[in-house]
Amino acid sequence: MLKHLKMALILTMLMIVIAVALDSVYILTKKPIAKSDLNAKLSAIKSVLTDPNTGKLLIKESEIPTSLKQLDSKVWKSDSSGVLYKDDKVKGYVLSPAYKFTTKDGKNAYVLVGYGIGFGGRVITVAAFVRKDDGFYENAIRVIDYSNETPGLGAQINDLKVRKRFYSIPNSGFESGLKVNKDANLYPLKNGYLSKLNSYKSKGIVVTSDVMTGATITPRAVVSTLNAMYAFLKKEAK
Amino acid sequence: MSDDKSKISSLNVLTAGFIRQNPTFSQVLGLCPTLATSTNAENALGMGLATAGVLVLSNIFISMIRKLIPDVIRIPAYISVIASFVTIVNLLMHGYTYQLWTNLGLYIPLIVVNCIIMGRAEAFASKNGILKSFLDGLGMGLGFTGAILLLGITRELFSVGTIFGLRIWPKTYGMFVMMLPPGAFLVIGFYMAFFKHVTNVRKNKKVKG
Repeated sequence: MLKHLKMALILTMLMIVIAVALDSVYILTKKPIAKSDLNAKLSAIKSVLTDPNTGKLLIKESEIPTSLKQLDSKVWKSDSSGVLYKDDKVKGYVLSPAYKFTTKDGKNAYVLVGYGIGFGGRVITVAAFVRKDDGFYENAIRVIDYSNETPGLGAQINDLKVRKRFYSIPNSGFESGLKVNKDANLYPLKNGYLSKLNSYKSKGIVVTSDVMTGATITPRAVVSTLNAMYAFLKKEAK
Repeated sequence: MSDDKSKISSLNVLTAGFIRQNPTFSQVLGLCPTLATSTNAENALGMGLATAGVLVLSNIFISMIRKLIPDVIRIPAYISVIASFVTIVNLLMHGYTYQLWTNLGLYIPLIVVNCIIMGRAEAFASKNGILKSFLDGLGMGLGFTGAILLLGITRELFSVGTIFGLRIWPKTYGMFVMMLPPGAFLVIGFYMAFFKHVTNVRKNKKVKG
């Protein structure tokens, strides 16, 4: 009995030491972690508000937020639950808050943060949509958290060559429901598919199998996120 | 005389992990994260250093508490210590090396179950003093970092033609398979054979000598 008590006491003491150490490091790193996350978000917002074809900003340079305060001034919709919209069918979620900017030509540009479920959990994507006469037009995306995806496979999701495949998707593509090419029965890819990427996008097909060999779950998570974002915009940005 | 002997054995402890008992090529430990994160040199170096850091810290701490922990509860105690150091490394990387933290992702928390760390805790740190445990952790950590870096450099070079992002030859010469798991197995197989050959040559020299 005494032996067991001694063991329990030793383990308890060890756990207390560990808890104190972890708590101290957590407090020490809380601010740098918040700063890193904010910087990643700010950099992503600037990136998605840049026209991928011309490399020019859609909004005025002075309108790009560089601090939390400036970012908060651009909040369009928010919800205390942390989630603005969810589509349980496709497992796509839009996180709170959503931001609104005005483009140089006076159109509304919405920047949304959302996630889908990837291989190891949340894959968080930032995307910008511009409201045009015929509906919403997705400009660009940036994946800001893919830390639970497999290095070398799903973790390539934020590489430019992969990200580009999600750029400039017209509303006709979203109306059909975005799919990765493997889910749209477009696999294996036929000769000359590269020249048809934009035509596939207008049909809602995002070709990723050639730039992300072996990884389908992660791009599917991004596609689910974009579908949820589009549904949210259709509902809320009338 | 005894000082000399102690110095030599400490040096032996430090250098054992470099080639003789290299955790990757000789002991064949922790292959899952090694193969998965060695897709390029930067990721490999980051993973190697993170693992080495955890290995050194956990070896020191386990050596410190080795006489306090009863034998029957040593495994949960060691796992808790290792998991704590991994959590600390994870928090630090999230705060200070965000891009690397995102790239390595899943494999940082998985350092907890890397057999190299548990293996050294059980085989060395639980039986030796703090200094030697530190040297063992450092030697094995450097050996692991060197091995994974070698794999990362080779795979990056042959898949996209760069090393640490610096172009060595045109991308068109790249072999995409090197980025994929089969490429990882091919490269590690080649290096294992090479290390075995070097060990055999050294053994034969000693026998002849």
